[in-house]
Amino acid sequence: MNRNEVSDRKLVSAYIKGNEEAFELLVERHKNRVFTTINLIVRDNYLAEDLLQETFIKSIKTIKSGRYNEEGKFLPWILRIAHNLAIDHFRRDKRYPTVVLEDGSPVFNNLEFSEDSFESIQIQKETHVRLKQFIEELPLVQREVLVMRHYMNMSFKEIAEVSGVSINTALGRMRYALINIRKKLTVNKNAYDKNFYPK
Amino acid sequence: MPMTKTFTQNDLIRYIYHDTTEKETSDIEKELLFDNKLFEVYKNLAEVTMELDRVEISPSEKVVNKILEYSKSLNLHSVR
Repeated sequence: MNRNEVSDRKLVSAYIKGNEEAFELLVERHKNRVFTTINLIVRDNYLAEDLLQETFIKSIKTIKSGRYNEEGKFLPWILRIAHNLAIDHFRRDKRYPTVVLEDGSPVFNNLEFSEDSFESIQIQKETHVRLKQFIEELPLVQREVLVMRHYMNMSFKEIAEVSGVSINTALGRMRYALINIRKKLTVNKNAYDKNFYPK
Repeated sequence: MPMTKTFTQNDLIRYIYHDTTEKETSDIEKELLFDNKLFEVYKNLAEVTMELDRVEISPSEKVVNKILEYSKSLNLHSVR
């Protein structure tokens, strides 16, 4: 089975017929996107892993019991489940937990980068660790819209419907989210440059 | 040729995320050629979205294996 050529739809169909390898491919293909979405909302690595598990378990039960609607697309569907679980949890428990891994290292060590030029990897890591932190620091309403639009690929119309606000409000929240991150990145970059090129 | 519509930052957000109609896309692109201020705002916003693309977080192998094991275990039992 060529991993990149088989569509999600075909994989789901194969999984319905009992092909576990098909499900493994679906998980492999989408686990990072689903996990990133959850993680940016709940800001806790342990909790995000629990919710990732819950999300996939819910999808497994739905598919295996024949309740999956094959008309829809798998990724938006599972992202919606993940988002709902994460938001439910966030609203139930508005804690701001310390984010550390089992060995005490920061969760940010788990970040992956699309570019991995050896020479610039350290700079990239520093920047993206901070970027994730900047996203996490956004007010919930801005963070929610950013995650839904950027990582879940929902349209602003869909976001407005789900959030119970107008499209303009959703757009405004997205704009503020991007502006806030931009400001923080700029401050961060200037501080970084000064460290490298002190007067 | 002067543009009849002034685009807002919200319009730019819709443009960046491909949420504009074909006509709006074409009008915004023309406007961006002439309006340096609007172009600067666009550039700043677009740069942030490019940065956002590079954030991807991976779950542990342990949790992925648990999910796969759960799925396999359901083959042995009926699903409610």
